[in-house]
Amino acid sequence: MTRLSLIATTAAVLLSTTALVQAQERGGIMTYGRYADSMFLDPVLNDANVDIWILSNMYDTLLLPTDDGQSVQAGLATDWSVSDDGLMVTLTMRDGIMFSDGTPITTDDVIWSLDRARNPDNGIWNFLLAAVSEVTAPDDKTIEIKLAQPDPAILPALSVFNAAIMPKAAFEAMPGETDLEKATAFAEKPIGSGPFVFDSWERGSTLKLVKNAHYWADGEDGEKLPYLDGVTFEVIPDDATRILRVQSGELDGAELIPFARVKELQDDPNINMELFPSTRVADIIINVRPELAGEANPLSDVKVRQAMNYAANKDAIIQVVTFGVGTPTSSFMSSTTPLHTGEGAVFPYDLEKAKQLMSESGYPDGFSASILTLAGNQDELGIATALQQMWSQIGITLEIQQVDNATRTDQYRAGTFDMRAGAWTNDIADPNQITSYFAYSPTIDALHSGWKSEEVDSLFEASQSELDTTKRAEQYARIQEIFNQDGPTVLLYETPYPVALQDNVKGFNQIPLGNNIFREAYLEKE
Amino acid sequence: MSMTAFLGRRLLQLVPTLIFILIVVFVLVRLLPGDPASAVLGDRALDADVERINRELGLDRSLPVQFVAFAKQVFTGNLGNSIAMKIPVTQLIRDRLPITMLLTFMAAVIAIVFAVPLAFVAALKRDRLPDSAIRGAFQVGLSMPVFYVGLILLTVFGAKLRWFPVGGYGDGFLDHIYHLFLPAVTLALSLSAILMRNLRSAIIGVVDAEYVTFARAKGLRSNLILFRHILRNALISTLALFGLSIGTLLGGAVITETVFAVPGAGRLMVDSIYGRDYPVVQGLTIALAVLVSVTFLLTDILQAWLDPRVTK
Repeated sequence: MTRLSLIATTAAVLLSTTALVQAQERGGIMTYGRYADSMFLDPVLNDANVDIWILSNMYDTLLLPTDDGQSVQAGLATDWSVSDDGLMVTLTMRDGIMFSDGTPITTDDVIWSLDRARNPDNGIWNFLLAAVSEVTAPDDKTIEIKLAQPDPAILPALSVFNAAIMPKAAFEAMPGETDLEKATAFAEKPIGSGPFVFDSWERGSTLKLVKNAHYWADGEDGEKLPYLDGVTFEVIPDDATRILRVQSGELDGAELIPFARVKELQDDPNINMELFPSTRVADIIINVRPELAGEANPLSDVKVRQAMNYAANKDAIIQVVTFGVGTPTSSFMSSTTPLHTGEGAVFPYDLEKAKQLMSESGYPDGFSASILTLAGNQDELGIATALQQMWSQIGITLEIQQVDNATRTDQYRAGTFDMRAGAWTNDIADPNQITSYFAYSPTIDALHSGWKSEEVDSLFEASQSELDTTKRAEQYARIQEIFNQDGPTVLLYETPYPVALQDNVKGFNQIPLGNNIFREAYLEKE
Repeated sequence: MSMTAFLGRRLLQLVPTLIFILIVVFVLVRLLPGDPASAVLGDRALDADVERINRELGLDRSLPVQFVAFAKQVFTGNLGNSIAMKIPVTQLIRDRLPITMLLTFMAAVIAIVFAVPLAFVAALKRDRLPDSAIRGAFQVGLSMPVFYVGLILLTVFGAKLRWFPVGGYGDGFLDHIYHLFLPAVTLALSLSAILMRNLRSAIIGVVDAEYVTFARAKGLRSNLILFRHILRNALISTLALFGLSIGTLLGGAVITETVFAVPGAGRLMVDSIYGRDYPVVQGLTIALAVLVSVTFLLTDILQAWLDPRVTK
């Protein structure tokens, strides 16, 4: 065999094996289009989804959320257990783990990071670790977390971004007096132990991450993850431009594709239009205070709210607003949330029943009310317009007020609104976060609606330290039953996260909590 | 008045203008409903967190106290830190404003390159086919929304023909110019239409002026008449219009930067207003006000040079 033909044969064999095995390929930079830039890359002091959803690529946690976002798996810790009385979590640290700068991760770093994350003066996420009373390390492999009271959500809490393990020495060496000043300096060039390392950041334009050579996890091929050499995030606020850049091949992927464009991209042979399961729910939040602006509030009448729920044709709204991509919510929490109960729309469309309920209510002749929507948000405007028409049939005249987010939040917090369109995504693989905000009145007055149920409040408080999983499930089932039936919402739909990817992008995942996971992503060579 | 005195007077006029802008922007952003803490933290903010952050930012103090603190900062060249991004506003302005300036400058150049020759053709062929065709085309350009023009250009020259990148800013100066070409054309479109119309009428006015007839009668070469007499005189009013349009151009940059994903000051401004990021809005407004004022000043100087009567 000549040398040339030997090479040709070898190449042919290699090519065919590659095609058969579909092995993860290494190398390459994946470019990803985001709708907005990150603001502050500190896991504890950040405030918004734009940060949260990429922090997990740079920072690592003791435990990681599973791909379905419902449970936890090993992270920097390989083993974990909760004591029978629920007052102690013991974790075993993985061997040989390092920060991206090559310094070993010690129990000191873990204790310091968790203490910083649970400090009530630090950021808005410390409530996730509120049950923790002390973090100690009996030896250099073991972490003991003492709890003041049992917390069934403590394991998922350890997988949330704010519980990321940071290098104590590097952080403390930063200039500045206060934690915020040090964090500001640190977050300009953060060091973590996630699959990727911060490389450079041109604000409003590009954020570049490169492979962390010291990352602990192995890929399918037995070598260290990640497969990619790096990820470059590009900020493209305009939806149409973001899509154009994927179509022109300039981007490997883009997030938040408008539902209106999903079908078109599904039909594009070069694009893989992914719809990742999410915890995102859309609803209408109703102010149920007995009086509004000195007048009796018809929305405080539970029959009125139930009539509004029955008169809202969810399937039609899903068709009009999400172009069929969504499904009706069967509870206030998404079906991907642990301990979710229910099936199908809570209030299936029934105009007759709605009219009946209205006639039995204190407002048989109807009334006028307003709804706040986010200016420029087509989904919310679509929902409001559809409801305007649907509710007119039960005598409710709906006035749509389009405002910007800060204005809306202001009215919301002041309790001066009638109704508002809302959307929610969980940050933790547990039903406690959404329930605390939606149903438990002491947190934010049940979404600032003024709704209160003594039974829900006490069930929630009990569930917060209930270790018996069956009992806890029962508590959540009852909470959902009460809230769904007479709560301050019109339950609409849940939707997946639409991400457009080039056909050769494999292994990328956006988990139901929203985090973009690039650690096992790779670019298949054509 | 001498040119120096004229300049001195114009520079002095800048001071009260800037102080006025300082006060107006300070009051205006605070008149907007909502506060930075709620805007940044969103729906999930607990009352305690909102109060804590507003206290940390000094927003719980009275407006006059806040204004004095702000004015002190400004006069020491410190514009404070962004609330959302937590980095100095001066750093943000230094990073983002040059991008918008480059975009605006390119748009101005493109607008002039299109408008001046076409205005001449249109004026000299008044009411004939070239005139109608040019005016018609510019009318279309003037009446189309900026974001729509931008998307068409992106789709055709970016995604379909692939002559230009679909947005972004690129690396290195030449790459920046390449990336900014389509956005600059988009931004230039309406300005060139305005300039062309104005210059066309000015030329028509000048062509019929007695001094041009006199120049012709003297037997001057037509090129000389065109540049020395017609263009120089016709440009005076167009130049004033051009200077005034810089503010509009900067406004248009906001939309253009969003469509083309250009990380300029326009987009930063919009994001900061939505996020109630007071220090960024204030700092950026001051920077833009200085920029526009300087442009006006340069226009005035140029006008004075073209027409010495201006300084009188």
